[in-house]
Amino acid sequence: MTEISAQDPILVEVISSALSSIVEEMSETLVKAAFSPNIKERRDCTASLFNAQGDAIAQDEGGSPLHLGSLMGVVRAIRERIPDEDIAEGDVFIGNDPYTGGGSHLPDIVLASPIFVGGELTAWTATLAHHADFGDRGHAHIFQEAIRIPPVHLVRRGVLQDELLELVLLNCQIPAERRADLRAQQAALHTAIDRYRELCERYGRQTMVAVATQLLDYTERRTRAAIEEFPDGRYTFTDKFDCPELDDELELRIAVTVDGDEITFDFAGNPPQVRASVNVVWTGLYAACYYTLKTLIDPDILPNAGLYRPVTITAPKGSILNCEAPAAVNGRSETCQRVVDLIVGALAPAIPTKVTAASNGANTGVHFSGWDPQRSRDFVYLETIGGGCGARYNKDGLDGVQVHMTNTSNLPVESLEAEYPLTVEVYELIDDSGGIGQYRGGMGIRRKVRAEVDDVHFWLDTSRQKSQPWGLFGGGPGTSAHCELSPGAQPIDHGYTVLAAGDSASIETAGAGGYGDPDQRDPQAIADDLQAEKISRQTAEEYRSQARQGSAGTDPIKEGI
Amino acid sequence: MGLRFGVDTGGTFTDVCAYDDRTGRVHIHKVSSTPDDPGRAIVQGVTELLGTMDDRRIDDVTYFAHGTTVGTNTLLTNTGVSTGLITTKGFRDLLELGRGRRPDMYDPQTDKPLPLVPRHLRLEVSERLRHDGAVLVPLDEDDTRLKIRELRDAGVKAIAVCFLYSYVDPTHERRVAELIAEEFPQAYVSLSSTVLPEFREYERLSTVVTNAYAGPVVYGYLSRLRRTLRSLGLKADPQVTQSNGGVIPFDMAEEVPVRLVLSGPSTGVVGAAEICSAAGFPDIITFDMGGTSSDISLVQHGEPHVTAGMELDGRPIRSPMLDIHTVGAGGGSIAWIDSGGHLRVGPQSAGASPGPACYGVGDQPSVTDANVVLHLLNPQYLLNGQMKISEQAAIDAVRRVGDPLGLEVHEAALGILRVVTANMARAIRVVSVQRGYDPRDYALVPFGGAGPLHASRLARELGITTIVVPETPGAQSAMGLLMTDVRTDFMRTQIVALDPEGPDAIAQVLAELETQAGEWFTAEGTPADEQTLVRRLEMRYRGQNFELPIDIAGQHGLDAAALSQVVADFHEAHERVYGFHSNDDPIEVVTFRVQAVGRADRLELVTSPFDAENSDASIVAERDVFFSTHLGFRSCPVYDRGRLRPGNRLVGPAIVEQMDTTTILLPGDTCVMDEYRNLVIQIGAQQ
Repeated sequence: MTEISAQDPILVEVISSALSSIVEEMSETLVKAAFSPNIKERRDCTASLFNAQGDAIAQDEGGSPLHLGSLMGVVRAIRERIPDEDIAEGDVFIGNDPYTGGGSHLPDIVLASPIFVGGELTAWTATLAHHADFGDRGHAHIFQEAIRIPPVHLVRRGVLQDELLELVLLNCQIPAERRADLRAQQAALHTAIDRYRELCERYGRQTMVAVATQLLDYTERRTRAAIEEFPDGRYTFTDKFDCPELDDELELRIAVTVDGDEITFDFAGNPPQVRASVNVVWTGLYAACYYTLKTLIDPDILPNAGLYRPVTITAPKGSILNCEAPAAVNGRSETCQRVVDLIVGALAPAIPTKVTAASNGANTGVHFSGWDPQRSRDFVYLETIGGGCGARYNKDGLDGVQVHMTNTSNLPVESLEAEYPLTVEVYELIDDSGGIGQYRGGMGIRRKVRAEVDDVHFWLDTSRQKSQPWGLFGGGPGTSAHCELSPGAQPIDHGYTVLAAGDSASIETAGAGGYGDPDQRDPQAIADDLQAEKISRQTAEEYRSQARQGSAGTDPIKEGI
Repeated sequence: MGLRFGVDTGGTFTDVCAYDDRTGRVHIHKVSSTPDDPGRAIVQGVTELLGTMDDRRIDDVTYFAHGTTVGTNTLLTNTGVSTGLITTKGFRDLLELGRGRRPDMYDPQTDKPLPLVPRHLRLEVSERLRHDGAVLVPLDEDDTRLKIRELRDAGVKAIAVCFLYSYVDPTHERRVAELIAEEFPQAYVSLSSTVLPEFREYERLSTVVTNAYAGPVVYGYLSRLRRTLRSLGLKADPQVTQSNGGVIPFDMAEEVPVRLVLSGPSTGVVGAAEICSAAGFPDIITFDMGGTSSDISLVQHGEPHVTAGMELDGRPIRSPMLDIHTVGAGGGSIAWIDSGGHLRVGPQSAGASPGPACYGVGDQPSVTDANVVLHLLNPQYLLNGQMKISEQAAIDAVRRVGDPLGLEVHEAALGILRVVTANMARAIRVVSVQRGYDPRDYALVPFGGAGPLHASRLARELGITTIVVPETPGAQSAMGLLMTDVRTDFMRTQIVALDPEGPDAIAQVLAELETQAGEWFTAEGTPADEQTLVRRLEMRYRGQNFELPIDIAGQHGLDAAALSQVVADFHEAHERVYGFHSNDDPIEVVTFRVQAVGRADRLELVTSPFDAENSDASIVAERDVFFSTHLGFRSCPVYDRGRLRPGNRLVGPAIVEQMDTTTILLPGDTCVMDEYRNLVIQIGAQQ
């Protein structure tokens, strides 16, 4: 095989296309072969390729941005822990621990394999899947949350380490699902190894290695070019953060410094870590920063480690945004959503057409677990419910979607009810939940779920119950999040309760902030929203009175009806 | 003696093919499409073509088949009718909520698809089933009547009905249809249990809403066209192609127009499968490249791969269809440089207007311009001289990306081709590698205006060694219409545990579908010896949610031996696609499908005897062509495809021109015209 020069930007583009195909194929394999609804229907998983040093060179864009974080640290964690001579062809490593394994919370189990080409370690591949297990656990510290797995051999030179697997499965509530899902993750790794080797046969190993380097440089160039366009300066922002587990609201803060083609996110002054699930390890914080930067500079940029180079992130150790063991981290996505809002809020004056108003500010997780007498098995049902997406400088925000750090699918009702003793009574947008403005904030979601059996343990993991997602440049806030139990049900205490058969929980996620002065809103848009019942007559009146005070606008109510 | 017509309406041209079995000749005619009323171009094309055939008249036509993009265009341009929805209480927003994901993970500017039914026309009624079909809340008929009147008064033309679990028990939906017939008989009604009796409520809802929204438009179009053709004197019952590649009579298609979304492209694939099977290439990858996009599909053992659904503009549509993957890479795709200094091509396209720079209107460099700069396309004119082009405009446009990259204009043009080739290769990997098939085991079959121009590069990129260019690549879909079968699909979602010892449970469901298929054959008047059933089980390990389709041998019944073959085939398919299988996990059947296939009155492919190898008599010109930086411009012969004879041999570099297509042989390629007049190209060593 002749080596082709990697100094050829067109060849780099060609190979980049092939690498993207590989990670897409990995994800398809994982989703279709998996058994648990959270993976097979909700696609709460991702797949990546890395260079030999562990820098991500391709990541499937179907998963969640937060998964980037878990994958960022995994190969380095393996290499720190496992001596080189103990890494061989046919190995599969397993890990989930945020403190020793590069993960960001325990349900995200990573499987990773080295890719050897001609006997040389040339690349790595990993799959991450959120295993919806570990229901009804405590979150005072990480030891309550689930089994912690440092990076260890699950498969050694092609031989499955049965004893380890048995140990892990014994700590899971739904072991049969875990076994099948782990098998699906391994299948995805095999796919990647085969495909990557085929590319090496085609282009040569050296070329593939050189191209990976080029791809990182390429992303770095694009990132720097985009940051360069931001006005230099120091931008600060603070916001209130609440979650059901904490009695009091916390104040989160950021200072962003743009200096030429580099950017710094400084999280000094944030509260110390808490005895609750919402602490964030550094990989989660980094993932939130990198995600936000990508959306602000160029959504089309390749998600690889080149993006990280012009970025500096600092946060005090032991704070809620850079926690240390043994802080609990299961609900870290709530906090990460707000890291995005902090960055966006800080940079809004500098780049007003790139940002959106505050989105619903949570990754509302609802966990139902218990014993299903009809199917004679334990069950753990996890759903994350989207909400309003912030209004944009030129358009309304999206209604009822997953925002920012997560982008999983919902579980179809017809799949959910066939698997669990639960009934979904309502799944709808919440009228009048989007913040007013020239462009309206997106609407929150109401999902009402009824327990069909006794002793269903319900845990709600959300934010923005005590505050509202803010609007920008005159736009109003979205409504807060809320959870309503049916009469007679045992009240929720710190996010937790036990439902009896017939009890239902109606979960309402927050709307999102509006953008721009409400008096500038197109009267037709107000009339359309009113007709669609997305806003109430009262809200329409509010627009009208604002318009009267502001410029002499037309009367939306009269025109609309 | 019969005369058979195939008419394919495309964005630019309407192609009319006629096969006269008295002479054994195929006639082809192209007229400009008339998007405001596609029927006009059809009438014009048919009339003009008949005019060129001695003493043949419209009443000699025994078979008339049509491929249309009316349904697809209605959806892409949001020009369906005002539609209302009646759905289960608590779920009217499902159409907007979808699966809950935002459409682009990183781009806040990307919007969700606009719901085809606005919120105030989505009405809820009291009714609820459980997953096992038990009635939790009975249908509130009085309320339903009120809701129907509300929709009627709001001026809707169509009503979609979608209830939870209607695929388990359609009683409530059917009752609503009866109530609509009483309250609002003018409405076009679509029931989810009729259109798509399958689980996953959002996908079913999206499909039935799409059907209702586009239905009246498709219905109106087909019935008008039917009347026009009849008044023209057509006696045959006109047929239209469905997404599954088969034809059905117009009136049957009017019920389920959502099954027509791939009506146009599917026949190109069916025709290619037919032509290539006859020519000895049963395993092919089709590559239909037009101005803005390329359609790609995989054919195995002469059968196009099928799939159960696709997304159109972000809206899921589930119906039996050929597995055709579309990528935004066509002749008009525009080259640009991104902020990291990489050359990119597409998905933006110069389209038909302004068109590539060389057409003289726009100035953005497109793939066609790159081909003109390199002289792979005739640098003076296209379409047999009907269209003049400007080489200088192409050069100027390509320099716009070449200069900033420090590339000489020809290198830049080559770069554009390499990048667009990589994009197309990625799309081919989706239908092949990602489904567990190795593209190197397949012949590449290019058609469409630009397919044969890029096929040789694309084959090299994928390691494919053989290309088969059919005789009329520019009118492949119309040709395919003359080769397709009458076919329709019957399906049922019912989860049945597979018991290797007892095939009865499965055989029973199959038997019901076989009966339905038999009734359909009777209605169609298909003679018994022309009836074929393709029976398929969609299976998975219990616990999974995605199924693999497994064919059952034979036409009727299912015995233990047949069942154990099915099980073996399932394990093998799982191993191929996912890299593992499990003999311990229980298997279940989720969807039962029976496809009824009746052979239509089809074109017989004719062969011509081999002539001499020497093809020099077909050389009409010599042209300097830039194949690679290493070779530079190099003189190469230009052949007229019409003059080539079976047996003629060509050696690359060479160019073969025909009216609407140019085929390129790169240096090292060799080509023989086979007895079906296909160009069979063997790819040479890497250039």
